[in-house]
Amino acid sequence: MSINHKEKPLIQVRNLGKKFGDLEVLKDISVDIYKGDVVCVIGPSGSGKSTFLRCLNRLEDPTSGHILFEDVDIVDKKTDIDKHRQKMGMVFQQFNLFPHMTILKNLTLAPMKLQGRSQADAEKQAMELLKKVGLADRAQAYPNQLSGGQKQRIAIVRALCMNPDVMLFDEPTSALDPEMVGEVLNVMRELAEEKMTMVVVTHEMGFAREVATRVMFMDGGYFLEENEPKEFFANPKNERLKSFLSKVL
Amino acid sequence: MWEKLCNDFYINFIKDDRWMYITDGLQNTLKITFFAVLIGIALGFLVAMVRSTYENTGKLKILNGICTIYLTVIRGTPVVVQLMIMYFIIFSTVDPGQVTTAILAFGINSGAYVAEIFRSGINSIERGQFEAGRSLGFNYAQTMWYIIMPQAFRNVIPTLANEFIVLLKETSVAGYIGLQDLTKGGDIIRSRTYSAFMPLIAVALIYLVMVMVFSYLVKLMERRLKRSEH
Repeated sequence: MSINHKEKPLIQVRNLGKKFGDLEVLKDISVDIYKGDVVCVIGPSGSGKSTFLRCLNRLEDPTSGHILFEDVDIVDKKTDIDKHRQKMGMVFQQFNLFPHMTILKNLTLAPMKLQGRSQADAEKQAMELLKKVGLADRAQAYPNQLSGGQKQRIAIVRALCMNPDVMLFDEPTSALDPEMVGEVLNVMRELAEEKMTMVVVTHEMGFAREVATRVMFMDGGYFLEENEPKEFFANPKNERLKSFLSKVL
Repeated sequence: MWEKLCNDFYINFIKDDRWMYITDGLQNTLKITFFAVLIGIALGFLVAMVRSTYENTGKLKILNGICTIYLTVIRGTPVVVQLMIMYFIIFSTVDPGQVTTAILAFGINSGAYVAEIFRSGINSIERGQFEAGRSLGFNYAQTMWYIIMPQAFRNVIPTLANEFIVLLKETSVAGYIGLQDLTKGGDIIRSRTYSAFMPLIAVALIYLVMVMVFSYLVKLMERRLKRSEH
């Protein structure tokens, strides 16, 4: 690893494996993710990158290995995973806003029900964050009145309202019209500048190059190469990565 | 012609206060339907929760087995047979009253259909909604309650309303246990006056009006829910 860290990793992945039936999607993966890291995971479809991400908050149950998040093994069945998920925000490809609630309700539901915060307190934070992403005027709208880009910005804010320690992004711009990709990436870029720890599964090579602190290439259930972005894109070493980059860049 | 109609009307409804057979019967029909609907919703909700929890998580295996038997038996036998079994077998020694028996029989019957309606409503919600709830830190029950159920309920309102219309009309077999409901009331008049037209048409019209009023109310409610989403 290129950077020397003094503090302990925020997330330690050890020998992570995941099988769907006979299909081995993740094979013996070990990674450390440190506070303030912006890790971009790239790779061809079907390489296991989304599964890797979804294992980090146990939306998929790993078949083997351990994931230590803030020193607790969240793969352990005895761990109260709901508690730890509150500290891990997640943004989905399909947004998954709650269509039966206003935007403001979408944002305040979890903080009020799970963190016991008052409505005034939760709404205050929600409005501040909405202002930051330029959507304060849509607080009383319903999700299906928004464009895809707006929905995804709201989805990011919804995760942020829980004050998470890490944000997981699962191809956040893949379902968007091309002209809306930028507005979502900009929000993510700001988040990175504020030193939010982020793990981003993405096909946006430009974003990975400019914003990531580390880029990792996954194929066939393994991480084949990892580097800081400049070196990663300029001097790829692995043959598979070379051929992948030659096709997408 | 006109005179004959008036005479028929007099004999069937006015003479000896025969209209009271209809109104008394209507009261029982409404009572049975109303409470059976409540039982049906409660029972249906519980069974649907057990079944979809089992489908999603593999938990509650034994309860799910019981629920499956309940659904199979209730949906596999005629409601009038269930009603008679309830009255003549289950309550053969302790008699809680015909109306209570009918409420229980129709409520338990309706619960089976409502359960499947709720379950299909839950299944119609995208998996992403469930994952979004869980990823925020909600547990299974909270995700169901705050996120899945409100959406599922909205989706099934038309089907649910249909089930209750069916239930209202199905209570017309309550006469099989000697209960005087709306249908039986009309039938009693017919047997006294030997004229079938007036009482039976009156009974049919009353059912029709009740169903139309109910359908209208459901439509209003649907429209209101839809408005809150846009």
